Amino acid sequence: MEPLPHILVVDDDREIRDLLARFLERNMFRVTTARDGRETRKAWQAGHYQIVVLDLMLPGETGLELARWLREQANVPIIMLTAMGDETDRIIGLEMGADDYLPKPFNPRELLARIRAILRRAGDGAAPRAGGPLSHSLHFSGWTLDATRRRLLNPDGTEVALTGGEYDLLSALLDRANRVLTRDMLFDLLRGRQAGPFDRAIDVAISRLRRKLEDNGRNAQLIKTVRGGGYVLASDVERR
Amino acid sequence: MLRRFRPRSLAARTSLLLIVGLGIIEAIGLAVHALDRIDFDRRMIQQESQNHVGMIYRSIVETQPQDREAELLALHPPATFHIALTPGPDPDMVEQAASDPLARLRMGHPPFAPPPFAHPSQNLPPLPPHMRPRQVLFSAPHGSPRRAVAFLLPDETRWLTIRYVLPSPNPFRSPTFPTAFALMTVAGGILIVWGVRRLVAPVGTLAAAAEALGRDVNAPPMSEDGPLEIARAAQAFNTMASRIRRFVTDRTLMLTAIGHDLRTPITRLKLRAEFVEDDELRGKFLADLDELESMVAATLAFGRDTSRREPMGRLDLTALLQTILDEAAETHPDQAEAIGFSTPPPAVAIAARPVALKRALNNLVQNAILYGGGARVTLQAPQPEHEGERLTTILIEDDGPGLPPEDLTRMFEPFVRAEASRNRETGGTGLGLAIARNIIWGLGGDIRLGNRTPHGLRATVTLVC
Repeated sequence: MEPLPHILVVDDDREIRDLLARFLERNMFRVTTARDGRETRKAWQAGHYQIVVLDLMLPGETGLELARWLREQANVPIIMLTAMGDETDRIIGLEMGADDYLPKPFNPRELLARIRAILRRAGDGAAPRAGGPLSHSLHFSGWTLDATRRRLLNPDGTEVALTGGEYDLLSALLDRANRVLTRDMLFDLLRGRQAGPFDRAIDVAISRLRRKLEDNGRNAQLIKTVRGGGYVLASDVERR
Repeated sequence: MLRRFRPRSLAARTSLLLIVGLGIIEAIGLAVHALDRIDFDRRMIQQESQNHVGMIYRSIVETQPQDREAELLALHPPATFHIALTPGPDPDMVEQAASDPLARLRMGHPPFAPPPFAHPSQNLPPLPPHMRPRQVLFSAPHGSPRRAVAFLLPDETRWLTIRYVLPSPNPFRSPTFPTAFALMTVAGGILIVWGVRRLVAPVGTLAAAAEALGRDVNAPPMSEDGPLEIARAAQAFNTMASRIRRFVTDRTLMLTAIGHDLRTPITRLKLRAEFVEDDELRGKFLADLDELESMVAATLAFGRDTSRREPMGRLDLTALLQTILDEAAETHPDQAEAIGFSTPPPAVAIAARPVALKRALNNLVQNAILYGGGARVTLQAPQPEHEGERLTTILIEDDGPGLPPEDLTRMFEPFVRAEASRNRETGGTGLGLAIARNIIWGLGGDIRLGNRTPHGLRATVTLVC
């Protein structure tokens, strides 16, 4: 049997730490907890972790400093727990190299889904990427997908809003640009996000995305439909 | 009638008053000046005419009697002069020296009027005795500019009669005077307009500052320099603004602190709920916690007013509304049919704070769905408005019961909820519209609520492009 993935949970609230540990253990993870920077460093030396769940607000050494330190140690994925609705914290967190973030109070199941998604991506071979996979921007055909702020800018620099599903879909297509993605693969990548009939949800999201990308005949079809049920994003993608 | 032409602005009114005053003073000054000049000018004219008469007499007398007719023609007197050699004096002439009042009266002259010549010898150029006239007669009808002098030539029997018309005195003969006067008037007018505008400007500044404070408590303070009274008004205004700011800050700090502190217990409760074995009970727990969380989130959003810290950027308003509607339709699948654009939206890009504006518009759409059973959104193409600002209008409409008219503006106050939704069934914190209005005002836009016929509510949002 494969060993259980090992998670390091860093939070200064003892109750949250313990409850989170119990919750994750129940969902087939091995959990070690730490209450501050000192304990984190100690725990880091003692074990090998697949993922770190890190509270941004810690006494003494802040979560940001700790994230930077962790980044120097190894390319371990980090999920940041940020202050609720504070955009600046979130952006700084992502820029400091967090792979994902969740505002507090978070839904435990949402956290579980994010952990699984990150682990799956790490297992995929698509990740890991140095410098924090989410803190970059992708440039394609004049458009920019700013992953830090989760926003899409058109060639004029005007922000074009995307729904969560549209963003994830575009992100998945860009990650595998010029490669055909079947509906099944796309659904798999976006699992947990979409509600409703599966195939239809993908098709609807694709058509909305096309409309927002002004992807009509003129724009030489950015997102192409492949016969037999798949899509491909036909453009060179530059990471910065 | 006059009221209609009275200018409305203080600056225009004051300028008008001062300019009219200046005009009156100038008119009086001009009249005094003119009276003085007229008197002076009259003397000048008389002196000049008399000199002319003297010159004419001399040139005739110096000529031989037989050549005098020819000399008369050769003289080129001014156009107002008429010269003739006559055998006798004209009947209207009187003798100057004999200033007998009765004789003067007979001739139609006032008895003691000042003579046109003080004395013949004074007014004629100095002449040798043989050239002096033997007799001099005058005519100066009262009130008429006509004058006549008749000289009995010393060496013959003919009379030299010179008739002339005194030009009427003109106080403005010199061209520099009216020019200088006009220049002075224009300069005075400009000075008045400039000065009044400067003086009145602080009143406008004060009004603008009060308006800005109404929209944004953190508007920069007024500058406290300028004239004493204005500085005092600005100081008083700034003191008032800082009191309001402190009050608002205290309140929001308290709200934020409460919201902040609630996050940890809510997180714990959410984790604990996961250990509840009963699925139904756990579901209810989590639903309650979600509601609690959304209330805390709204309170924090309102209290922190994070919107003002977000930078402005260009955004595609059409795509933003589409996204909000799509997300709303995803979370309310049973009402999806009633959520969407009412007409195909035009492409509109505006400058705004993207996250904040999304929150504001989302609050309005959510309200429409929650209380009105659906949201129909109309995006109007930007209309050019005054002062070069282009405004775009968004209508968010529902077919719900609408609101009592007295609630339409009250609903924007924090924690105010319509009577119909006061029970907790429908959820809501009473902050959604307050947050939306704060954000939209912060973008220089405006928001209004209105009822639709036969029923339903319409939120009208205007944004600056």
